[in-house]
Amino acid sequence: MINRRHFNKILVGSVALSFAACSSITSVSLPTDKKRVVIVGGGFGGATAAKYLKKFSPETEVILIEQNKEYYTCPFGNTVIAGLNDIEYIKHNYKTLESKYKIKVIHEKVKKVDGETNTVILENGEKIAYHRAIVSPGIDFKYEKGYVKGSEQYSPHAYKAGAQTLLLRKQLEEMKDGGTYVMVAPANPFRCPPGPYERISLVANYLKKNKPNSKIIILDQKNKFSKQGLFQEGWEKLYKDMIEWRSAEFGGEVLEVDPKNRIIKTEDEDVKADVLNYIPNQKAGKLAFDSGLTDGDWCPVNTKTFESKLIKNIHVIGDASIASKMPKSGFSANSQAKIAALQIVRLLKNKDIVNPPKLANTCYSLIAPNYGITVAAVYEAHEDGIIAVPGAGGLSPMNADESYRIQEAEYAVAWYENQMADIFS
Amino acid sequence: MKKFIIALFCLCSFSYATEYDPIRGEMLSLSCASCHGTDGKSKTITPYIAGMSKTGMYQILLDYKYGKREGTMMQKHVKGFLDEELEQIAYYFSKVQR
Ligand SMILES: Cc1cc2nc3c(=O)[nH]c(=O)nc-3n(C[C@H](O)[C@H](O)[C@H](O)COP(=O)(O)OP(=O)(O)OC[C@H]3O[C@@H](n4cnc5c(N)ncnc54)[C@H](O)[C@@H]3O)c2cc1C
Repeated sequence: MINRRHFNKILVGSVALSFAACSSITSVSLPTDKKRVVIVGGGFGGATAAKYLKKFSPETEVILIEQNKEYYTCPFGNTVIAGLNDIEYIKHNYKTLESKYKIKVIHEKVKKVDGETNTVILENGEKIAYHRAIVSPGIDFKYEKGYVKGSEQYSPHAYKAGAQTLLLRKQLEEMKDGGTYVMVAPANPFRCPPGPYERISLVANYLKKNKPNSKIIILDQKNKFSKQGLFQEGWEKLYKDMIEWRSAEFGGEVLEVDPKNRIIKTEDEDVKADVLNYIPNQKAGKLAFDSGLTDGDWCPVNTKTFESKLIKNIHVIGDASIASKMPKSGFSANSQAKIAALQIVRLLKNKDIVNPPKLANTCYSLIAPNYGITVAAVYEAHEDGIIAVPGAGGLSPMNADESYRIQEAEYAVAWYENQMADIFS
Repeated sequence: MKKFIIALFCLCSFSYATEYDPIRGEMLSLSCASCHGTDGKSKTITPYIAGMSKTGMYQILLDYKYGKREGTMMQKHVKGFLDEELEQIAYYFSKVQR
């Protein structure tokens, strides 16, 4: 039997040691000589928060709990589906966070964050106490209208990256020339508002080269979409007549789906797909619900600190949180994570929070490998939520020349690679 | 009238009226790091801004803000910050080791 002091020493001494190896310990109590922040979810939000907590306060103990050893980003996942990049390009790991920043990374699934006892409870029964916790579990899907758990093996959403990205790529590769690729695009609010339309663009890019007689139908659960003018301008220019977008009110609304046979029932007709990319409507990740952090589908937070409005000492960032005007993007999650980390360090030291915090977002989308478009905004957190600073931000111009679009595509890649370095290295 | 005010703003940029506030400077710099890399240490074609001269960087930011310089993205971002905040940002990056 190892005693607790010895256990803590082992943990400090060997960051590579996983908690699982010490599974005889059922409760890891708080250190007395320092503060501990436990982060659940190692995506854009959680991994950024872990790194920046250590950057702002190296003396704070930071434990990051992520169920997977590798993280596949959704950003640039569409380039993998369209065969422009290999899956390795979007794969990242936690080794640098462990070795360089001395973050303890535990690869386990979390059952619940318990705000009453200030502990994180793992599925294997272990409990880890925290002074403050950060939760960034991302999204989950609403299973409705015949799309149930398991449907994604026939009709992939590819809206969480990894195996689903590869499945959709495979289906696209196997589709016959002259086939129909159907996307069901979700209702608001959802992860990455331009994401579905960037995907359609790059799928069209692939089909134009490889299967030019094919067509694409988007059945949209809403009547307009992000960067619509810019996307439609690009589609007209590059993929004329290949893409048909149906808004919810004009034939897009899905009544029922048969994912196995890839048939979607709409008011007008039964649409038969050769590849069905069904992106369900969304809500906060399950962990947020199991931990009592949700009100409706998402998590209400004090947007100056991202502390939950429902449970003290737990901060919710990224897609799962209600961040008013900020879109659910990786850029937003990264920006929120840094502000949350900064404020948490100040709260732990009993200092005033930084007021008002400023945040930002930029979303690059590729219509083709050398054709980029963007939307950007700068935000300020106020008492009643986050507002976009008037006069700032905006979209790429319409009718821009070729060199402008090329430049934006180059900056899209530059953003991705710097963003990955900002999080994982 | 508007032009006159802008001209005045630009002139002011050469008098370092603002005192450096490291906490605010760091908080404001976080928005830049998402594209320019942690502490502005870009690894890509996005400019490397760590350790830039404070005066030079501040002037570039003002030029973007008041339309004297164009980019695809920068002018959209700098318009979200007060001049004094841009100066804090320039201070922050000037103090980071290259
Ligand atoms: C097709 C597509 C394209 C996109 N393109 C862009 C883009 O170009 N730019 C951009 O900024 N954003 C983009 N996004 C959006 C971006 O992917 C998300 O906004 C971002 O991932 C949100 O970060 P997060 O931390 O909230 O969640 P995630 O990144 O999803 O991270 C959540 C993590 O938590 C872990 N987790 C969840 N529950 C548990 C549990 N119980 N125990 C342990 N671990 C758990 C998961 O394994 C996961 O690693 C895109 C999204 C899609 C789908």
